[in-house]
Amino acid sequence: MEFKLEAHRIVSISLGKIYNSRGQRGGIKLHKNLLVSLVLRSARQVYLSDPCPGLYLAGSPAPPQPGEPAAGGGGPAGCQALGASPLKKPRRHLEEQPAGAAAEEEEEMETGNVANLISIFGSSFSGLLRKSPGGGREEAEGEESGPEAAEPGQICCDKAVLRDMNPWSTAIVAF
Amino acid sequence: MEEDIDTRKINNSFLRDHSYATEADIISTVEFNHTGELLATGDKGGRVVIFQREQESKNQVHRRGEYNVYSTFQSHEPEFDYLKSLEIEEKINKIRWLPQQNAAYFLLSTNDKTVKLWKVSERDKRPEGYNLKDEEGRLRDPATITTLRVPVLRPMDLMVEATPRRVFANAHTYHINSISVNSDYETYMSADDLRINLWNFEITNQSFNIVDIKPANMEELTEVITAAEFHPHHCNTFVYSSSKGTIRLCDMRASALCDRHTKFFEEPEDPSNRSFFSEIISSISDVKFSHSGRYIMTRDYLTVKVWDLNMENRPMETYQVHDYLRSKLCSLYENDCIFDKFECVWNGSDSVIMTGSYNNFFRMFDRNTKRDVTLEASRENSKPRAILKPRKVCVGGKRRKDEISVDSLDFSKKILHTAWHPSENIIAVAATNNLYIFQDKVN
Repeated sequence: MEFKLEAHRIVSISLGKIYNSRGQRGGIKLHKNLLVSLVLRSARQVYLSDPCPGLYLAGSPAPPQPGEPAAGGGGPAGCQALGASPLKKPRRHLEEQPAGAAAEEEEEMETGNVANLISIFGSSFSGLLRKSPGGGREEAEGEESGPEAAEPGQICCDKAVLRDMNPWSTAIVAF
Repeated sequence: MEEDIDTRKINNSFLRDHSYATEADIISTVEFNHTGELLATGDKGGRVVIFQREQESKNQVHRRGEYNVYSTFQSHEPEFDYLKSLEIEEKINKIRWLPQQNAAYFLLSTNDKTVKLWKVSERDKRPEGYNLKDEEGRLRDPATITTLRVPVLRPMDLMVEATPRRVFANAHTYHINSISVNSDYETYMSADDLRINLWNFEITNQSFNIVDIKPANMEELTEVITAAEFHPHHCNTFVYSSSKGTIRLCDMRASALCDRHTKFFEEPEDPSNRSFFSEIISSISDVKFSHSGRYIMTRDYLTVKVWDLNMENRPMETYQVHDYLRSKLCSLYENDCIFDKFECVWNGSDSVIMTGSYNNFFRMFDRNTKRDVTLEASRENSKPRAILKPRKVCVGGKRRKDEISVDSLDFSKKILHTAWHPSENIIAVAATNNLYIFQDKVN
């Protein structure tokens, strides 16, 4: 469950970076976006392969469900990032439901959003390129804002994975 | 190693407050010329500043050839690509000097899209006594001219002028990350994320594409070119590094398009170090041939590696620059520091290598004695003529008095660009908008 949380957070951060790179001066940096998409892909695979039904990942966009335990701190920050990004309406065609996701309507929508975004951005690099900026986007300078900015030195524990895990199930242990 | 310090601060910002740096002043490249007499810096604002070493005088033995500003010019301006609605940054990505062949100096400077050849020359005489123009340059009324005279050259105050002699434009779709002058002094290459082009200095409207790793379908893109350099002696050989941590050595005699490498350098990954960010930290940010041409040095996020050209399956030497960051990769990813591209340099004899780190620290590794040192480029710790004190980062447990803990490191103070004099122990270190020049202690 922690893996899924952390992977979700990584996914949100990565998506935020990709989105913000569209407005950066000098155009999209291919190298950086390639690296971010690789992280995104790894995190997505962890996220999807972690069997964790009933995980409530909603932040502000969805109302809290009675009886659902609120997720840890990683959730709200991550979802905040998603909510803030004016992404296009998620297509209802969901290729991959997170394994064992709960049947709750709101929760499905929540994880559905993430799964959609992952499939848009993570599955292929062309997803990246389709988000090329149109006119008038150029002037935003500087780093991405908001939840992505962490204080330097803040520790996000990542420990090396247990050696016997499938390399693509590598996870970051949260706290 | 004990060091003398001679600090030069370059700050054109309107506010003289030292803690405030305008982004345009951030130094983005540093390079000595082939004799070490000149030192060029480029910044984010598209300017180039060249320093010249003072001639050593017998009277002032202690002033051992300090560097003073020689020339400043605006190399690149911001441009706008109307077709793609993109602004092209004026930041100078790289400067490379040409070897000196006459009284003038030549250098290449590049931003993301355009390479320029600049000629820097001195003028200390001017002609006087024109017949048709007066001293201010205004045309004289021919009716007033009654005598003819021969113009003479009179001495004037030394003026250093920089003129753009060639502009090599429109050859790169992606961002240029490297330029390298060939040992034949007639050609050079420019590399962007996916392609490398070979230019002749005299021809600006054409270039040869010698490497192209763009996949037919961009969805299949898995790696990009991160740096490239010509062999120092063999004009047919060059290397380029990739974001996957590999280096390819190519021979231009083999074919026109060097898509098939002659040698392929890659170290097998250590599975115990696997994490989400393994790929990012293995991306090579800089590759440099040794002066001898026998070795290449590569820099990735946490290490510097020295490779023997004759051994492709693993590096000869690996040096940990700041391994204590390995457990912090997640937060370094969040604040984008993990994408920082550090450069690395050899000293003149290839016995010492140097690279930068955070908190204005930079590291030197002696390849023979296997000793290393961490030094800091900061105003507080550097008085002119003071000896640099080695620094140490405390990685856990008890922190000694002079040590600094990992959590106190300032990640906004990064040393990405350094340069080493070709023959002497003089180094130039760029710390954000400040340039530090350190010399070996004089006995």
